[in-house]
Amino acid sequence: MNRVGLGEVRPCLEGVIPAIMATTAADGTPNVAYISQVFHVDERHVALSFQFFNKTRRNILEHPRATVLLLHPVTAQFYRLHLRYLRTETGGPVFESMKAQLAGIASHSGMASVFVLRGSDIYEVLDTERVDGQPLPGGAPRCSLLGALRRGSERLARATTLDEALEATLQTLELDMDIAHAMVLILDPATQRLYTVASRGYATSGVGSEIALGDGVIGVAAREGTPVRIMHMTSAYLYSQAVRIGLEDRGLAPVDMTEIPYPGLPEPHSQLAVPLRSGDRVLGVLFVESPQDLRFSFEDEDLLVTLAGQLAAAIDLMQETPEAGDHPADGTPAPVVAPPQGPALQVRYYPANHSVFINNAYLIKGVAGAILWKLLQVHRSEGREEFCNRELRLDPRLGLPDVADNLEARLLLLSRRLQEQCPALHIEKTGRGRFRLQLGAAVDLQTVAA
Amino acid sequence: MMARGVSVIVSSCGPDLTPSLMRAVGSQVGPQGEQITVFLNRGQSAQLLRDVARSGRVAVVFSEPHSHRTVQLKSNAARLREVTPDDAPALQRYLQAMQGELGLIGFTPDFASAMLAYRLEDLSAITFAPEQAFDQTPGPLAGQPLRVVP
Repeated sequence: MNRVGLGEVRPCLEGVIPAIMATTAADGTPNVAYISQVFHVDERHVALSFQFFNKTRRNILEHPRATVLLLHPVTAQFYRLHLRYLRTETGGPVFESMKAQLAGIASHSGMASVFVLRGSDIYEVLDTERVDGQPLPGGAPRCSLLGALRRGSERLARATTLDEALEATLQTLELDMDIAHAMVLILDPATQRLYTVASRGYATSGVGSEIALGDGVIGVAAREGTPVRIMHMTSAYLYSQAVRIGLEDRGLAPVDMTEIPYPGLPEPHSQLAVPLRSGDRVLGVLFVESPQDLRFSFEDEDLLVTLAGQLAAAIDLMQETPEAGDHPADGTPAPVVAPPQGPALQVRYYPANHSVFINNAYLIKGVAGAILWKLLQVHRSEGREEFCNRELRLDPRLGLPDVADNLEARLLLLSRRLQEQCPALHIEKTGRGRFRLQLGAAVDLQTVAA
Repeated sequence: MMARGVSVIVSSCGPDLTPSLMRAVGSQVGPQGEQITVFLNRGQSAQLLRDVARSGRVAVVFSEPHSHRTVQLKSNAARLREVTPDDAPALQRYLQAMQGELGLIGFTPDFASAMLAYRLEDLSAITFAPEQAFDQTPGPLAGQPLRVVP
């Protein structure tokens, strides 16, 4: 037998050509079935989709040995996987990843109605066999991938702020991987929602837009802590669809002034969401999409998972950097700013949800809204422009959680929303754990009780 | 459908119930479907051919790639036979039919040729009379018996 590593068959597992599975009944009768999905779990395991209670199902429960025939979609090389059934999973990362992917395969093959994933059957791979034959030459290998990862890794290593780390990530996707549409979302563990902190390639940045944990490709990737890759998009996993249905479920959708539109593509065909994992926590999601089918391969997934790991580590590092004492030391001198001119900005604050409106336009809510309100009040009462993260962490009114407070991400979100919606107010970092609030206009502060 | 030349997958099993399996590079179906021959590369199917020679058991799936229409036939009395130059025309017709079929779903004739590559002298044939037939078109009804040949 010509044994190879399981890694060699991964191009066969992209769902282009269905796999074929042989099993045996207890009485020795063989059975052959097409299977929609062979999922690469790790170098020793695959998961097969369990969709129907059929002969194959009965056979593997009676006798756990199975053999799967795979065909390489470019070279026509055959492989056989010699498998032993271990267990069926009906939830968790492998199941959710397969479910999302299967919905894509099903819609592409015009069989969405009959494709329901009941479980992920986990098999041990006893042997991977390359079958003799006369395969075609393979396409040129994507030798540029490792180079792309290296450049991305170098950019990330040089980043000193969260802003720079996000920029380094999005730049790598755009310049080195030719991925035009991407965003990074950070998970707020308190609200169980993900908010967009950076994006590329959309008509509006969508910074501040939110997605609930578990919603769509992004929400599932965050909830399960697993990559979700879809090669043929289907409406079932379209976030915009989920939102629309959600609104319809609630009857006439109330006009929520604090909803920032989700920036995603109107008709994506491929999507890939990768969790930003650090230790046992998911910090957020790195998400890419494309209007083309089959745009992201398992190699793109490998690269994004690696890049996301480094980004997550960078985010955590920036979060945990020791901060200066109670009062900010002057790292950089405050620039001389001309006294504000023109009409005062009308800033309204709603303590109920910590939302802030400026000149009647929604700016931000939640912890970031409470932070802005505090900064403006301190500025009014003390005339102070220099702030540090520590004083925010010590203020119980802001509602920052004790651990994993994502303060850097919240400040970045606030700074970007100001940049987009109200450039007269400006937040800039002045050192680790320190920042400056600059007012280019007078402000008129008003609290509105709910 | 079976006679027209569609995907053919052949399976058997060893004494320890380990399944063996390979794609056939050709098939020939008798006028009434009463006798079926499938052609396999010996180098690709050593275990399968040993298992059929030992047990006579086969399960063979015929499937039309563009429509997913699928039929599974089973027999307990399959036997091996030599491949002769007389089989060449059937193999040639099969290859052409499969090139057409795979063309419908976007694969080139070269891909079909590589997938079904053979040298006549390297082939073995399995012939059998189907004893059971099942509709295997993907979906909840897959596995329903079509008819039982007495």
